[in-house]
Amino acid sequence: MNDDLESKIQAALQNPQNVGEMEGADAVGTVGSENCGDMLRMWVKFKEENGRKVIDKATFQTFGCQTAIAVASVATELIRGKTAGEALALSGEELAAPLGSLPPMKIHCAQLVEGALKSALTGEAAPNQGPVAPTLMDQFAAPQAKKVVLKK
Amino acid sequence: MADLLTAYPGAQRALFRAYHIGGCASCGFRPDETVAEVCLRNDNLNPAEVLDTVRTAWEQDQKMLLSPGELKAQLDAGATEVLDIRTAEEREAVRIEGTRHFDQSLMQEILASWPKDRLLVILDHTGTRSLDAAAYFAGHGFTNVKCLRGGIDAWSDEIDPSLPRYTLE
Repeated sequence: MNDDLESKIQAALQNPQNVGEMEGADAVGTVGSENCGDMLRMWVKFKEENGRKVIDKATFQTFGCQTAIAVASVATELIRGKTAGEALALSGEELAAPLGSLPPMKIHCAQLVEGALKSALTGEAAPNQGPVAPTLMDQFAAPQAKKVVLKK
Repeated sequence: MADLLTAYPGAQRALFRAYHIGGCASCGFRPDETVAEVCLRNDNLNPAEVLDTVRTAWEQDQKMLLSPGELKAQLDAGATEVLDIRTAEEREAVRIEGTRHFDQSLMQEILASWPKDRLLVILDHTGTRSLDAAAYFAGHGFTNVKCLRGGIDAWSDEIDPSLPRYTLE
């Protein structure tokens, strides 16, 4: 990863925008599985502006890679003021554009954000973006609660 | 990839540590993909080099282990952050003072603002899951990530017998 991209990602991570669940959202979309914590969820709220229904605010929660957090942060800013149709027309690459050009191995991060946004705006379940194989996060990030029995 | 993971159980950790592949949904792979396919869409990596990395995964894993005695020395010196990746229920039952419960908000704080060279020690129940978490942070550029060998169970056994050992049912 080049230094400029890395510095932009770090800047986005140090002050991520629009993180967290949104009360009263008009739409919610999810990519990935909540059960394993390996997911990205996006909330969208609309408003009327000059006779158009546009995105007032979008927020997200993710347990994904830092690049996914950075892309979601800039993308939720980017789509403000756009109609659902305009936002749906944006590719993952365009949503990540404020960070610069992502290297091939990071493009999936942008696709994860694109999938959550499309899921929110269309009401359809996001298509499977990638892995069916368990990821590292599946292994450690959301341990299954079991009964604790102390040894005597 | 499924065959590779079966043959080399530490392969996923090695892939993420070295190449940022397989950590979460955004950089994962499908089990039916070949090594060559995954390499091609990840900066056109050299498959032979990737396989060599996977073959040495065991040695890399061993370098990440910290004994209970070594962790105690680090804790006494105030030189480490210990991240407890067990469930809230397990932590409520048994915990080491000074350790922190790992959750989503802490994870984002770590990725966003913690120095990449800070010593992080991952703590789990018996040492079986902590290497995955350590590899995850290593793959994000953290250069000094370790795991407690044997988890809190080994800590109870070797350092503090007053902490009850437990099983999960």
